[in-house]
Amino acid sequence: MSVLEIGDELPAVEIELSSAFVADYARGVGMDWGRFTSHEEARAQGLPGQIAPGNLSLALLSRCLLRWAPGMRLARLGTTFRAPVVADQTVTVRGNVVEHHVHADRTITFECEVWMESAEGDRLVVGTATLEESMGLGG
Amino acid sequence: MSFVDIDRALLGREFDRASYGPIELDEILAYARLIGEQVDASDPVAPPSFVVKLRGDRALPDFVVQQLRSGGFDAGKDIEFGADIRPGDVLSVATSVHDIYEKTGRSGSMVFLVLRTVIRNQRGELVAYVDQRMMQKGA
Repeated sequence: MSVLEIGDELPAVEIELSSAFVADYARGVGMDWGRFTSHEEARAQGLPGQIAPGNLSLALLSRCLLRWAPGMRLARLGTTFRAPVVADQTVTVRGNVVEHHVHADRTITFECEVWMESAEGDRLVVGTATLEESMGLGG
Repeated sequence: MSFVDIDRALLGREFDRASYGPIELDEILAYARLIGEQVDASDPVAPPSFVVKLRGDRALPDFVVQQLRSGGFDAGKDIEFGADIRPGDVLSVATSVHDIYEKTGRSGSMVFLVLRTVIRNQRGELVAYVDQRMMQKGA
């Protein structure tokens, strides 16, 4: 039995993007470039401040999707990085379910919209995702 | 000079191939910690976004690096996920220039270059397609 229905709004998740959290991620994945690790270095490059790598935003959207739908598989995730995600702010990840499809192989897929927004409500990263659930043999 | 000046004959040509692994449990756990994710110790599977840290030896081909001198940024990623990544997996990562296209939006003309990374495991199973979109302002 699925936990998702069309029209469901996925619970908002607030994430504190501290400078240290962003820098640790960047260093941990080998992207330890100044723009990702230091406000000063980022500003010297013309950015508004230290920014989160797009890959981190993507990872956080992925994390939220799977927490919303435990036991499901993330089959697809598409993201558009619309604006720099500056460190030392609290962002909110939101989403909703827009479609679902039942397949001959006894899987159900849910098409979702998902996005990361600033405290001002600006959508910094937007995306679409497909979550997949197996109905098992019992049906 | 911009992405539109890139020779279309280069489309589909692989510019990077690398191998990772065997993937270690500690590597999966360390990555999960970076994004605040939890991994089931009894059945450790890498978070889906683990695939974006597998960038190969050359993040960008030389002819793209040259074009980026006139500006450009990471506009987003589209990922199709296949087989899970588990400890012991050996992954091959191959990247090519997949597409170049122009689009006109509210902010004017934009040129997109899509790099496609194909990740397979030691059994030849598809682990992920990762399409990275780089964007430049058009003329």
